[in-house]
Amino acid sequence: MGVGACATRLLADFGAEVIRIEDRQRLDMPRRLPVYKGEARAYGEEDANPDPNKGGIFNNYNRNKLGVTINMRTKGGRMLADRLIASSSVVTENFAPGVMERWGLTYERLNELSPNVIYARMSGYGHSGPHAEYKSYGPVVQAVSGLSYISGLPGQEPSGWGYSYMDNEAAFFNAAALLMAIYNRNITGKGAEIDVSAIEVGVNLIGPLLLDVAMNGRSTRDGAFPTGNRLEHPNAAPHGVYPCAGEDQWIAIAVFDDAEWRALKGAMGSPAWAEAPEFATQAKRFANQDALDARLAAWTKDHDKRALMLSLQAAGVRAGAVQSAEDLNETDPQIAHRGVFFELDHPVIGEARFEGTPIKFSRTVQENWRSAPLLGEDNAFVFRELLGVSSAEYEALEAEGAL
Amino acid sequence: MTNSGAPFAGLRVIELADDIAGEFTGRLLAEMGADVIKLEPPGGSPTRAVGPFARGEEGPETSLNFWYYNSNKRSAALDVVRERAQFEALLAGADFLVITAQPAALKAQGIDLADLSARFARLIVLSVTPFGLDGPWADFKSSDLVALAAGGPLNSCGYDDHAIPPIRPGGNQGYHTATSFALIGALLALLERQKTGKGQVLDVSMHEACAVNIELANPYWFYPRVNVHRQTCRHAQPTPTQPALFRCGDDRYVYFALILSDQKAWRTLVEWMESKGMAADLVEPAFSDVAYRQARFQDVQALVECFFLVQSAEEAYHEGQARGLPIGVLNAPEDTLEDVHLRARGFFVEVDHGAYGKVRYPGASYRFSSFGEVPRTRAPHIGEHTAEVLAEIAGAQRAAQ
Repeated sequence: MGVGACATRLLADFGAEVIRIEDRQRLDMPRRLPVYKGEARAYGEEDANPDPNKGGIFNNYNRNKLGVTINMRTKGGRMLADRLIASSSVVTENFAPGVMERWGLTYERLNELSPNVIYARMSGYGHSGPHAEYKSYGPVVQAVSGLSYISGLPGQEPSGWGYSYMDNEAAFFNAAALLMAIYNRNITGKGAEIDVSAIEVGVNLIGPLLLDVAMNGRSTRDGAFPTGNRLEHPNAAPHGVYPCAGEDQWIAIAVFDDAEWRALKGAMGSPAWAEAPEFATQAKRFANQDALDARLAAWTKDHDKRALMLSLQAAGVRAGAVQSAEDLNETDPQIAHRGVFFELDHPVIGEARFEGTPIKFSRTVQENWRSAPLLGEDNAFVFRELLGVSSAEYEALEAEGAL
Repeated sequence: MTNSGAPFAGLRVIELADDIAGEFTGRLLAEMGADVIKLEPPGGSPTRAVGPFARGEEGPETSLNFWYYNSNKRSAALDVVRERAQFEALLAGADFLVITAQPAALKAQGIDLADLSARFARLIVLSVTPFGLDGPWADFKSSDLVALAAGGPLNSCGYDDHAIPPIRPGGNQGYHTATSFALIGALLALLERQKTGKGQVLDVSMHEACAVNIELANPYWFYPRVNVHRQTCRHAQPTPTQPALFRCGDDRYVYFALILSDQKAWRTLVEWMESKGMAADLVEPAFSDVAYRQARFQDVQALVECFFLVQSAEEAYHEGQARGLPIGVLNAPEDTLEDVHLRARGFFVEVDHGAYGKVRYPGASYRFSSFGEVPRTRAPHIGEHTAEVLAEIAGAQRAAQ
């Protein structure tokens, strides 16, 4: 849903002229999701006829882009798409496999329209293989790639993911692939068709556990896996998420060696229990985590999560308050100092906040010149000025319902 | 797709990394043809001490953690403080310095990134650190769990039961998120250099990378100004939603989000249940009304739970997909190795580990019609390429004189 838009946002942020094509009759899902100012609804609770320009998710993913509407079920619409492709050096799509082919928009055709074009195809399963037509979105990708199964407490159902991590990660790897193809074309002059399968991106993110399974024949179905917040490697302990003062407030603490354990003991005021022989070495602490976690939780539970994070860090302990979006946006001094979030005005929504790029560049500049386009906002500019469609032709296209 | 040539062939990367974020970045550059020289202290990188280990044999040459993130690199044992001249000679011929040291550690080692950038005009200094190079938390210590907590992802992950703390999603995803942006930054800097001929300093923060990788949690704060609350293996939301994880007859699970308001999906589901004689009263006309079934969602949920229990997860996955429903089986890592779709795409690749045999690794995350990655080679032994790297430096210095 957000994969294509999130990937091309990276290009739009850094100077590419990105033109987003939409269909008025089949509104983009992010335009429909009811994430609105002043109304808290779960995203399944859509309006039957939503205002397409009010949706926060669409605004979030489509800043710095131009927006046009084309009706691909009309002859004029298909002709406009061809002309738009002919004037572009990169084309991206994340439809279900086969949709672009039904319109005749194969890589070969695109390459005729725009020689050495880069054609990026962003899908769940990739454009070959027996399941290429399967439907997917973030949670399905996370399930099939193994990322959900490896997350949770032993002996319980997987806790998996509380968001579409793989929509974002697939978008980031798609953005990298696009930039790679552009870099390569700058050197060789050759374009490319790109096939990114979100599931394959996901399997890559399983990490070293996959080698343990592939090489050592390790089973993850032994009932002891996954290990919740405890690490298997290395033998960190304590390594967990502990309660803090307030409702559902938590802090993560990770201790990897004796020096860090001494620092934690010091920060706790050197309690007698921490000197017990069962906690004397890293190996013993690792073996006695149930007792250790109970002791630590009894100590953390009356502390404010942020104050505790700061005092533990000052003592040299790896600690992080579990922060909500509110915490990140309103009170995190590091985020505020670095300025990763920023605001842009939107004609319908008003001022809105955006997620920036978590990279400071000493030379490259991110230009935030507009919030997301309204539905069809740039039709006249793109079709008339960029493509040179005459006013008579433009009117005919409108009359045909091509826009 | 046929490949000819790797895009980063001819680029040289000096990697000074002691965490996953930096090492994974180096690996992704190496896979696409860059010559990545990992500088290790004489005893080897601390990441070699992290398991699991090949055949369970603990040691610096058998760390699967090290293998996974360091394939296709060369290793040179070099003390960058004592052997500063050689370190700088390497930088003089490099396109990238990938470096994970935080500000205090940089200072202690006498490394000034802005100064390096000024002296080596084409060099792209790619700093990847837990919190970035400046700000009040710049020298705070982190880990994957700590990064996911402070950066926001953890707040959305866990169980419906909030007596259980948020649960870390598996697989080093805090570090991987930082790597995703480091790779994008590296490419943006290469494109900038193609235009201007100039390198620069990039400062990637894992904390911020996590903070912009929490999907709906941010827009829910930006717009309605509400926080989302974690739910078992489904989206954290401002208000509770129905479970989406279903146990099947073989004790494996499928993910299936039952959106009651979607008419077409509802009809498909009822037809599917009816085909197994499990639809019960859901076939009654009254259930075609959205409000009617929403009011009885617990009955619906109970019937769907029974329906999945009479079939295997694999059957439910393929039949649901054949009927056009977005349903996913919760594969374990071992299942992905056997997945017929991934096999047909030739996704997994074999890497030769000598006495340890050939080991299957996941293949590239992207495929290109006109170019591609270089063949995978195993991670280097400690200092395996020290002599050849030193000889190359000496050769370059002679050529410069």
